[in-house]
Amino acid sequence: MKQQQQVGTIVGSSVHLTGAIKDSSDIQIFGSVEGEVSSDSKVIIEESSYVKGPINAAEVVVSGMVIGTITAKQRLELNPSGTIKGNVDTSDLLIHSGATFIGKSNMPDTKESPVVSEEKEDFKLDEEAEEDEDTEDKD
Amino acid sequence: MYYYIFEAPKTSQERIYFEKIRDFARDFGIAGEITQASPARTPEELTQIGVEKNYTTIIAIGHDAHINRIVSEILNLNSQAPISLGIISTDPESMLYERWGFKHPQDACEMLKYRKLERFNVGMVEPNHFFITSIKIEPKKPTRIILEVDHWQAETVVDRVEISGNLYILLERYLKPGGVVSSTLNWLLGKTEGKVDRSIFKAKLIKISSAEPLPIMIDDQVIARTPVNIYRKLNALNIITKRDRIIRENRKE
Repeated sequence: MKQQQQVGTIVGSSVHLTGAIKDSSDIQIFGSVEGEVSSDSKVIIEESSYVKGPINAAEVVVSGMVIGTITAKQRLELNPSGTIKGNVDTSDLLIHSGATFIGKSNMPDTKESPVVSEEKEDFKLDEEAEEDEDTEDKD
Repeated sequence: MYYYIFEAPKTSQERIYFEKIRDFARDFGIAGEITQASPARTPEELTQIGVEKNYTTIIAIGHDAHINRIVSEILNLNSQAPISLGIISTDPESMLYERWGFKHPQDACEMLKYRKLERFNVGMVEPNHFFITSIKIEPKKPTRIILEVDHWQAETVVDRVEISGNLYILLERYLKPGGVVSSTLNWLLGKTEGKVDRSIFKAKLIKISSAEPLPIMIDDQVIARTPVNIYRKLNALNIITKRDRIIRENRKE
């Protein structure tokens, strides 16, 4: 029982779980889960496993089968043996060759918005316009 | 004043260790009433006597089963005066030894003298069995159980279930080893056979049920049978713990 304090939740391969599981530490799934899986840390879906339901975590690694939406705030990795049938929402997506992904991916736009650059251009244009006006006045 | 409940010593070494505790307790000025459990006076009865005599610090000395029985009785008595518990575990293989085990009896008495108190969570098996160690279910053959925990339910076949006082659940399923060829190969290569499929969960409330009633054990004592509800009582018990040691670096100047 010393082990359990280091790891969070482990769903063994012989376990069939129904309902929502939540943990602040890592969740590692070898068995099958029908319901929501959420962790403040990492969710690892192992090769033998099956998850039907949404997954919310900072990091998600999929080597088994997932049917449902995945929200991985930091990173989502889909290994060659993994399958995702559902939409994913993450800022860092890594899909290995051989993996199956059926769904849409959404990434937050973290880069500098083009509107800002347009504003800069506008600013330049305004400056140019002012210069033009000045030259006109001089004339 | 402290009220000591010693377990009946199982070996001559344990007898000597207990005598040393008594001597050091006297030297440290924490001597109190000393009692020893026996078939005629169970740890529960001795705890009850101590509480009736208005002792507020009870020291349990012995193996896990003995300590657990005292813990359960203290919580069942629900005394109006808050009772603090001191623990000296004498079984190096046990769960409690890690926190309350002492090679030297002097260190044990030092801990009792400095009285650093911490509040601990305690597990409770309905109707009234409290535990700080763990409860176990070990069926003779793999058995299907249903766990209902907080917001989920799980169905699995297990060879062993262990639940700690803090309601950490460990499920174990011993997977069958391979055929004769692989067994022989493993034997030749010196590898251990078979794997264990483990599950670990945390819970606040657990309900365990099975097709046939399974015995629930605390330290080899059957305390209930499935179906059963298990709860966690937060901050239920004040326990004297080891002092934090400040390790100073040896400086060479």
